[in-house]
Amino acid sequence: MVFTITISSMILIPFIGALLASIFRGGAKAIALVFSLVPLVISLSMYQQIHDPSTLSYVEHYGWISALGISLKFGIDGLSLPLLILTGIVFPLTIIYSWRLPYTPHVFYPLMLVLESALIGVFTALDFIIFYIFWELTLIPLYFVIGMFGGPKREHAAIKFFIYTHVGSLVMLLGVFALYFESGIGSFDLLSLIGAFSTLSPDLRNIIFLAILFGFLVKLPSVPFHGWLPDAYCEAPTPGTVVIASLLSKMGAYGILRISLPMLPAVPSLSLFVKILAILGVVSILYGAFLALAQTDLKRMIAFSSVSHMGYVLIGVASFSALSLSGAMFQMFSHGLIIALLFMLVGVIQSNTGTRMIPELGGIANKMPVVAFLVMGGFLASLGLPGMSGFVAEFLTLMGAYPSLPVYVLLALIGVLITASYYIWAMQRALFGPYNENLGEVKDVGAIQMLPMAILLGLIVLFGLNPAPILKLFEAVSVMVEVLI
Amino acid sequence: MNVDWILSNYGVLLPEAVLTLFAFAILLIGLKYRSVLGYLAFVGAVVSLGLVIMNFSVNATLLYNSLVFDPLSQFFKVVFLLVTLLTIIASIRYYHGNVHQGEYYFLLLIATVGMMFVASANDLVSLFVAFELGSIATYVLAAFDKDNPRSIEAGFKYFMIGALSSAILLLGMSLLYGITGTTNFTALSQMSFEMSGYTLAALVLIIAGLGFKMALVPFHMWAPDTYQGAPTVVSAMLAAGSKKMGFVAAFKLIILALIALRTEWYMVFAIISVITMTYGNLVALTQRSLKRMLAYSSIAQAGYIAMAFVVVSHTNVDSVVNLAMGGALFYILSHAFMKGGAFLAVGAVGYMLLRDRIKVDVEEDDIDNFAGLSKTAPITAFSLAVFLFALAGIPLTAGFVSKLLIFSSAIYGGLAWLAVIAILNSALSLFYYARVVKVMYWDKPKFVLKGEPTAYVVAVLLALLGTVLLGVYPGPFVDVAMKVAEVFL
Repeated sequence: MVFTITISSMILIPFIGALLASIFRGGAKAIALVFSLVPLVISLSMYQQIHDPSTLSYVEHYGWISALGISLKFGIDGLSLPLLILTGIVFPLTIIYSWRLPYTPHVFYPLMLVLESALIGVFTALDFIIFYIFWELTLIPLYFVIGMFGGPKREHAAIKFFIYTHVGSLVMLLGVFALYFESGIGSFDLLSLIGAFSTLSPDLRNIIFLAILFGFLVKLPSVPFHGWLPDAYCEAPTPGTVVIASLLSKMGAYGILRISLPMLPAVPSLSLFVKILAILGVVSILYGAFLALAQTDLKRMIAFSSVSHMGYVLIGVASFSALSLSGAMFQMFSHGLIIALLFMLVGVIQSNTGTRMIPELGGIANKMPVVAFLVMGGFLASLGLPGMSGFVAEFLTLMGAYPSLPVYVLLALIGVLITASYYIWAMQRALFGPYNENLGEVKDVGAIQMLPMAILLGLIVLFGLNPAPILKLFEAVSVMVEVLI
Repeated sequence: MNVDWILSNYGVLLPEAVLTLFAFAILLIGLKYRSVLGYLAFVGAVVSLGLVIMNFSVNATLLYNSLVFDPLSQFFKVVFLLVTLLTIIASIRYYHGNVHQGEYYFLLLIATVGMMFVASANDLVSLFVAFELGSIATYVLAAFDKDNPRSIEAGFKYFMIGALSSAILLLGMSLLYGITGTTNFTALSQMSFEMSGYTLAALVLIIAGLGFKMALVPFHMWAPDTYQGAPTVVSAMLAAGSKKMGFVAAFKLIILALIALRTEWYMVFAIISVITMTYGNLVALTQRSLKRMLAYSSIAQAGYIAMAFVVVSHTNVDSVVNLAMGGALFYILSHAFMKGGAFLAVGAVGYMLLRDRIKVDVEEDDIDNFAGLSKTAPITAFSLAVFLFALAGIPLTAGFVSKLLIFSSAIYGGLAWLAVIAILNSALSLFYYARVVKVMYWDKPKFVLKGEPTAYVVAVLLALLGTVLLGVYPGPFVDVAMKVAEVFL
């Protein structure tokens, strides 16, 4: 075999692509597309070969700073592999989507590829400092993407996003330092650190757990740490929003599942923290849904719906049941696909009609039947229509959580109702009814932009009808976690 | 007495000797051939650097134990020589054709020799003499652009405050000698002090005297004016090199010699370090002049490095001390690249404005002049962006690893509150660094520049290489810093 499948090549190849794309300016788009596809190919072949998704495979280990016990350690399991596949799907589709958009190719595409590298690093790193490095590294390309290609308030949004999440990460880093030094294990290895967590004094365990959780909650984001979200989502250019909503929010969820969840059983004030997580989850679901209901800007509405949907992850974590956990994990995957589709659609609506305000639209289904069809598909998927991937995720999460958190599940169900109402209401006002003549002549979506969206909708339906290929990976991991608890 | 005997006994002095020789040769050759001087100075610094690195793990004392050559001194000499090299490379373009370049390179090399001797000093007297040699040459350098009133002001201010603080330092040293009866660091470190008003006064005066050079708040007042007014190549040297002379002197005098007084200086440095980083970052937020902003950021960085004093005085656990000092040393090395590179990049922009005769109604280093730099001078803009992100401590740069080491040593030493303050400061600093990147990358350029000057580009790229190398592959360098820091155990 000429080429062995490794995680490090999955991280390095998009990065090399970024360098090439910035050097060979004429071919930047083509280079970006080819190199962004490589991680998908690698992760799919890993998917075929992986034997036991509940343990780590493809582990790689190199020295980095031996004085502090930091090493470049990577590996995948059933939790990270679907996220790698998601990353591999979303990036090439976003690049195809941006094909005709007016972004300077030799600047925009390298930034996207660097972002892809960094994300893969986050999802595969098994050393905390390396995890943190990739975690922070995602900020730099996004700072430029928002700041250089974003909307009118992009400067404000870029800096706010950058600093808000940076502060969250620094608090997390402090917690990890405390864990590292107090446990005295002399290594930043993620699993050893988590294992050593239970040896610390009870007070310290509470503080460290909170500090680490804080960084993840900001990234997720969970209410009340979602302050950076509306500006960043709305001011970023469509491809940037797609990547933030679809993949970056999964970093927070992944961190909670990979790091906070295994620590949770050793936290002294366990019942209190479980309650806090459940409350944060329910509040995010309800508050996000209410905020979405109040929006007139389609993009803002979807941004808040994202807050609402990520609340399910917290419910899954708080439930301590394998069923609910695998539902929450599947929600990450499914939401990644759905939200990417929705933001792409908003981008198309805005560029083709000149507005994304719901009251200024109206009846566009008459002129843009393809867009209307895709929007309907996306909205229905997002509100949890059976047969679409969102239903599987939310149903599993809530059903699994019901035995342990009945009240919260009932409250979350109210959220499902509100979600349904804002989506259907928005559809009625924006898509159907008489055509708003003020919009003038509008064109339907072009073939190049339709392709990625059609693929996304296809995948959403596919995984809605047959979630098993991805779900079985998550189940293997969550059963392991449940045993642990 | 033959050559062999001299070499075997005084061979460790070769780097300093070579540099001095080149300095005087430059002064003489400069009378007739001016165009070769920069290259000559470059060769001198490279040879000297090579000699220091060859002798890195030396362990020798000279001249009745008044000079010591150990990994610590060699480490700092490497830092000084690297900064001098970067400065020389950029100066070749900046002072091209200047009538006085002979004196310029002479002073630059002599200042470096002074700093190198400070790194080797093991006695109050040798320390003070070397300190003065390193300082006086830089006073002249700061005022070297005689046609520019700001440069004169910079040099004058630097000199006045510098002279005052030298006097304070000397007073502290003489008090110390009066109390202990010795000027030798090795002897001082074995002394047990009786706490008295004199001891305290000596300690405070020494900290104040050295704090000036390190630009710690409240002894920092000269720094922004001097860094802004001095020729930018000189500012690079002052911030990246000369400042480290203060640190090595303080490491030797305070941590090595006066370790017995650790409980006394714990509180002093705790307060100074916190105030320095916070003040530097807060004031930097509102600066329009990039050189001033870098000056304040440099003050803030000195505050981070000064955390090492706090940690070392708080605990005497070997592994903590080693981590703190290793972190401080690594920080000093990275800071030389980050800050030196940043000043040179800013200098390159000033030079291009001057060269292309572009009239601007603001100062040459005003943030407005950097608008759209990514389009008019892509290499300079990219490097400056990396330096600024490095100063903010973004991963994969030297700044991240430096902060990782020094902040974690604070937590290891049981000073979590200090680490929290430092981390909050670090987050705050991101704001003004990111603002410059924003201006360079997504504002529209105001004027067209005719290409980037090669000499500056070379210097900036070398600093960039250092910044990225220390960030991506820090392992061996951290090991060296930790090994060197064993001197403090």
